[in-house]
Amino acid sequence: MQDRTDRESLADATNPLGLDGIEFIEFSTAKPQAFGQVLEMMGFRPVARHRSREVLLYRQGDMNIIINAHAGGLPRSVQPSDTPVIAAIALRVRDAASAYRYALDRGAWAVATHVEVMELNIPAIHGVGASRIYFVDRCRDFSIYDVDFTLIPTVDAKPPALTGLHWFGVVQYIGNDRMEDWTEFYGELFGFKALPPEERHGILPKGRVLKSPCASFYLQLIEPEPGILDVDGEESLQRVGLGTPDVLASVTALRERGVGFIESQGVHSETRGALTQSYLGGAMFELVHDER
Amino acid sequence: MANHAHVNIADFGMDTISLAGTLPQKLAAIRGAGFSQVMLMARDLVGHAAGIEDAVQVVKASGLRVTGFQVLRDFEGLSGHLHEYKMAIAKSMLEMCAAVGAQVLLVCSSTSTHATAEPDALARDLRKLAMLALPLGIRVAYEGLSWGRHVNEFTTAWDIVCRADAPNLGIGIDSFHAFATKTPLEDLDLLDPDKIFLVQLADFMWNEIKSVEERIDTARHFRVFPGEGVHSEALAELVMRLDRLGYRGDYSFEVFNDDYQQMPPPVVAERARRSAVWLGEDVLHRSVPLPGRMRLRRGDNTVD
Repeated sequence: MQDRTDRESLADATNPLGLDGIEFIEFSTAKPQAFGQVLEMMGFRPVARHRSREVLLYRQGDMNIIINAHAGGLPRSVQPSDTPVIAAIALRVRDAASAYRYALDRGAWAVATHVEVMELNIPAIHGVGASRIYFVDRCRDFSIYDVDFTLIPTVDAKPPALTGLHWFGVVQYIGNDRMEDWTEFYGELFGFKALPPEERHGILPKGRVLKSPCASFYLQLIEPEPGILDVDGEESLQRVGLGTPDVLASVTALRERGVGFIESQGVHSETRGALTQSYLGGAMFELVHDER
Repeated sequence: MANHAHVNIADFGMDTISLAGTLPQKLAAIRGAGFSQVMLMARDLVGHAAGIEDAVQVVKASGLRVTGFQVLRDFEGLSGHLHEYKMAIAKSMLEMCAAVGAQVLLVCSSTSTHATAEPDALARDLRKLAMLALPLGIRVAYEGLSWGRHVNEFTTAWDIVCRADAPNLGIGIDSFHAFATKTPLEDLDLLDPDKIFLVQLADFMWNEIKSVEERIDTARHFRVFPGEGVHSEALAELVMRLDRLGYRGDYSFEVFNDDYQQMPPPVVAERARRSAVWLGEDVLHRSVPLPGRMRLRRGDNTVD
């Protein structure tokens, strides 16, 4: 079988998909209003609704978050529960169709899509646990949201980011002895590379950090604490990390909006980073110092 | 079961293929003989009268740990529509493997005349299979079938595994195939013990296997449990070599035997138990575990 990417002489060996950041992060929850309030505290604004499903788009700066309360009922997908769960990461790529084929040719599982009339068919593969990874390439000329979403009247469709907040990355919990497996997965399918152990970010320097080939975001893999019983650990996307040029200024601004931060002996707000308290039974956000 | 508590056969398990009867009968016989683990085959689930979901519940309720799931055949080296067809089969096997809580999928080297002999192509396909298994937490054990078309020994299987270089792809060793091809057991020392994902043990009743046809026939109908055949010394050597090498994984008895299919499952399981006691006590000198011993994860304070 011919590898279609071989035809592209432009293909960069270190960034085979032409990855260019995170287009959106999708949360699944049965309580979209409650989670929407949490997102608004975090500086996001609701900007659009999906045309046919109970799905909302929140935005600040170049960060998009989709809240999905639509019970799809598909196997191996996150079912909405009271606690918001990261259900998907959408990656910006040079060409979504060829990125999708590239991943399938290397052993990714295709996600069966259920597209309604006039909706975009966004190609996706299965990620960790019940999560998905979407490939999106329409972020330049017109956006995917133009097709599937209706703007909420009178709101600013491009609300500015609070204190320069931007995507820093996603933290993934992995099972025992799974570090090499997941490092290989993200390396093989997307071109992520592990950072040397001495290069750390934020205030929770555990596990291993993988850098995207576009150098614009990170994945942090965290194993269970050593010494605990060898039980089957659930694997999932645990939280998102937001980068900020000034962590303490962001903490102050977010506190004013009502966000609580964890201040304990082990974890507390400092210039390197901060961690919000947990909302709605488990949703939390990490701030990481990142000049951008 | 009372007298079963005094020996340590925790390293050993039975394959369901050795037993007649239904899935619940097989599991009950294996458990009744004092084993704590079972190697399942896909047919155990798809052939279960009450359906696959019920089969999964039956396995989970048995209290037996699932050693692994078998078997994906003739997978590697195909191209075009044959490759796509085998990918679909592999996905189905992996989904059942995950559903039943098995962490190892056994893959036998291809016998297909349509498969290429090109080692890098074989490795590429196995790497793709490993990637498919990865999100499900499944490790792939690649075994050199003694009548495999291009890969028929653990040495050549190891070469392909090294070329593929995926963390969740390793080798499966079957004593029957090693003895049938007379692969020197010293070659086991070339393997990385952390990349041996499964060891299957069986013996047979004659010294020479003259043709490939006889090899297949013997493998499918005339295997016996370790200690019952004529290669006991070699079996003991194989197990001791793997142990010295640092292998601490599971041993499963892969015994295809037409006679055992005509005997009550508990009687056959008792024969398997005698094998496990011989290997555990006389060969490996495993100590009897202390009550309440916990299985800790590998790491800084390794216990296992």
